[in-house]
Amino acid sequence: MKYQYFFRYIFYFFFIFYSNSALSIDNLNDKVKKLTLELRCMTCQNQSVYDSDSDFAKDIKTLVEDKFKEGLSEKEIKVFLTKRYGEYILFKPYFNIKNLLLWLFPFILLILSLGFFIKGLKKY
Amino acid sequence: MRKIIKFVPLILLIVVCGFFLLFIIFEKDPSNPPSALLNKDMPKFSTSSLYNKNIKLSSDNLKKNVHLSVNTNVATTEDNLEKYTLINFFASWCTPCRAEHHLFFEIKEDYPNVFLLGISHKDSPADSKKYLNEEGNPYSFVGLDQNGKIALEFGVFGLPETFIINNDGKIIFKHMGQLTKKIIEDEISVFF
Amino acid sequence: MISLIGFSSLCLSTFFSILFLIPNSIFKINIKFCLLFFRFSTILICISFSSLITAYITSDFSNFNVFQNSHSEKPLIYKIAGAWGNHEGSILLWLSMISIYGFLYSLMSKSLDDFKINVLKIQSSIFLIFAFFIIFTSNPFLVNSVEVNEGLGLNPILQDPALAIHPPMLYLGYVGFSLVFSLGIASLLSKNDDKNWLIETKRWSMISWTFLTAGIALGSYWAYYELGWGGWWFWDPVENISLMPWIVGLALVHSLIMTRGEQAIERWIIFLSILCFSLSILGTFLVRSGILTSVHSFASDASRGLFILLIFFLTTGFGLLVFLVKSPIKKNHLNLLLINKTSALIINNILMIIAMLTILLGTIYPIIIEVLTNTRISVGGPYFNSTVLPVLLPGFLLMSIAPVLSWQSNKIKKFRVYVVFFLFLSFLALIHSYFTVFNTWGFLGLILGSWIILASIISIILRFKFLISLNYIKSINSFIAHIGVGLMILGITFSSIYQKEYSFNISIGEEININNNILKLENIKVVENKNYQSLMAIFSLRKKGELIDYILPGKNYYPVSKMITTEAGIYHDWLKDIYITLGNEEDSTWNIKIYLNPLVSFIWIGVCIMIFSGFIAIFKK
Repeated sequence: MKYQYFFRYIFYFFFIFYSNSALSIDNLNDKVKKLTLELRCMTCQNQSVYDSDSDFAKDIKTLVEDKFKEGLSEKEIKVFLTKRYGEYILFKPYFNIKNLLLWLFPFILLILSLGFFIKGLKKY
Repeated sequence: MRKIIKFVPLILLIVVCGFFLLFIIFEKDPSNPPSALLNKDMPKFSTSSLYNKNIKLSSDNLKKNVHLSVNTNVATTEDNLEKYTLINFFASWCTPCRAEHHLFFEIKEDYPNVFLLGISHKDSPADSKKYLNEEGNPYSFVGLDQNGKIALEFGVFGLPETFIINNDGKIIFKHMGQLTKKIIEDEISVFF
Repeated sequence: MISLIGFSSLCLSTFFSILFLIPNSIFKINIKFCLLFFRFSTILICISFSSLITAYITSDFSNFNVFQNSHSEKPLIYKIAGAWGNHEGSILLWLSMISIYGFLYSLMSKSLDDFKINVLKIQSSIFLIFAFFIIFTSNPFLVNSVEVNEGLGLNPILQDPALAIHPPMLYLGYVGFSLVFSLGIASLLSKNDDKNWLIETKRWSMISWTFLTAGIALGSYWAYYELGWGGWWFWDPVENISLMPWIVGLALVHSLIMTRGEQAIERWIIFLSILCFSLSILGTFLVRSGILTSVHSFASDASRGLFILLIFFLTTGFGLLVFLVKSPIKKNHLNLLLINKTSALIINNILMIIAMLTILLGTIYPIIIEVLTNTRISVGGPYFNSTVLPVLLPGFLLMSIAPVLSWQSNKIKKFRVYVVFFLFLSFLALIHSYFTVFNTWGFLGLILGSWIILASIISIILRFKFLISLNYIKSINSFIAHIGVGLMILGITFSSIYQKEYSFNISIGEEININNNILKLENIKVVENKNYQSLMAIFSLRKKGELIDYILPGKNYYPVSKMITTEAGIYHDWLKDIYITLGNEEDSTWNIKIYLNPLVSFIWIGVCIMIFSGFIAIFKK
């Protein structure tokens, strides 16, 4: 079975993909960039805080920087912000019961359709 | 099973259209998201008066059973044990603030028990004073928020914004943007 | 006067399409005569739209629509573009296109049978619904009650060459799917088992998809240089909305390759045809009703939203109902082989549909949540990147070898060659990532993109003939398209992951050195244009002492609408773009942002290749 190679490689891809997603970032600037990219600039239209130059975005940028300096984690800053601005400020919604459908839907569909596809395969 | 799958697209269509319809019927405004702070405790803050730096007002002053005696050269509120607080964020550079300003005189007149707290947002004290001289000062107390920290605590992002806080220190109303007479009659007057 | 001509021809056109819809058995007129009604209707709607354009060109401010959206001191091209730069005009354009597509179909399809009449009747019904929508809710021919001699001006953001032709392109794509929809429904309704509709669907879906690609690419290129923060795709709701019919159209075009008489696949094709057009209407609804916030500005209105929602519901509901009732009961199972072209195409279709559904869910989820819980959430880029991309990954991997798979057997020809090259490429990519900062997505994108290109080139070489003829290009067309996708993946990966960003405060005469590119702020000047003022910074770009080019970032101020737009200055190179935006002045120093965007050009080249191969495929039998 020559095409085994392909599956092995697909497996490698996903292995690399998932094992490396949690690289730690030490640099303060990078941390601020990573977080502010996921925050909505509330006064702009669909722009992230990082990309925007508006007053609001500037305030949030300094706030995030200060909070990181105070030693808060990314999660704690997000909680701080959502308490005040609502979940609307997060471009990446929390993984909670309310958003369960949102997050699981694509992967459930993927598994279901894989099942149907395998069922349709000719037995030989 | 197969029969159910056949109907899935139609059901999905109806459900999706239903949500759109409800969204339009409820008159949800995409540019004005619901506040996260509504029905929550008001954030803690402390501010000093525009007219006298030594006079301070903190969020604790606005709660029930706290004796409030604020001495400004504008207004004096004492012994208001049953009081609601209206907080209005304004600035001299903000045009809609100017447009809604006269309404606070009406509120002051109609509901004398309401403690009107104006917060001058990211504005120099001199400009704010000038603004209040020109337009008049309806506020019971004018607090300073030059670096925007209080606004940040309140989740303010577009001036003007108006909050109403009840006896227990809970935020019961929030409006972003210019107030109108209609809003005061329909939404604000029910509280007092 | 011109408004009157426009409106009356619009009404007449509607009248003729009603005449066309009256069943033949009532009047007992010749079928050819019947066809004339349809063609009259098209000609009249064209007259109607041209009279709107004429009103714009002549700045006829007695027309309310012109008054609101135009200004006499605009360059001619933006006067014309103003005709579709607003809600009413753009819907009229949409309406004319529905009719024109039907007209072209009636000319190009030679036969004259019930099927053709059915297609045109469905097309005509769609036309009628939208015509009523225009007449009752968004009439562009309203006359101003007071006399005015100057207009309010077009939104300055829209005064841009790419954005001027972006809406017609996009609409050519969206509306083209209406004909595909009509073809699908008509084939369900027709009694005989003619396969003619498949050929027609193939042609028209290819045309629509190609235009849609061009339209989306133009919009995204505009966002790249106009919005001024170095990106070109923001997962903005309006962008998602255009992407959904595009993906389904792509699935449709691919599934049309595998028609070998299987009923299951034919039904699937019809389903996709219905889906394509309903997603196009859904897009119009979401944009025009104003229930989404977006970086792309539009005139929007909720009451019109209700009407379009109704149109969306009726059209889609009708399509799905006919599909349910009329689809044949006869079952035949697909016999799938594992490594086989049909399987590859089915996997590709499934993945695309899942991707589309994910984008759809992400786009409308905030609406659902707000209705249910009265809280608002955002679903933005990070969500789509972490769901849609993993779903599409296996599809991209499959894409590289799918065209060489066989239809019948379970084998790949010259399999060993592919494996050797794949291993070699992975090795190269590993070395590359060893010397640069390792990034999972970067690594995956690099490997996928280059593998797709390499595999397609190998396949072309393996079947190489020394003939550069149109037929030869047609035979390797799928590989060409896939090379385009590969280039695009490389461009996307590099420009988003290895983008570098610098921020400076500099004064005139100062120099900046970025990777041996010396940028000098030569001057800042104000230029008066016909309808705007522009503030322009002049940067000279030098490399090793040699002057290469000038980069001109700036801002435009439009006095009529009192708006400022940013204009990024871009130096295009094959391997990287130097992208500069001008910020504010503080103490005679200027805040500027410089982005080094590697391989952005690959994205546009890739798209151009895809469009090219789309046009080739239109002529492919």
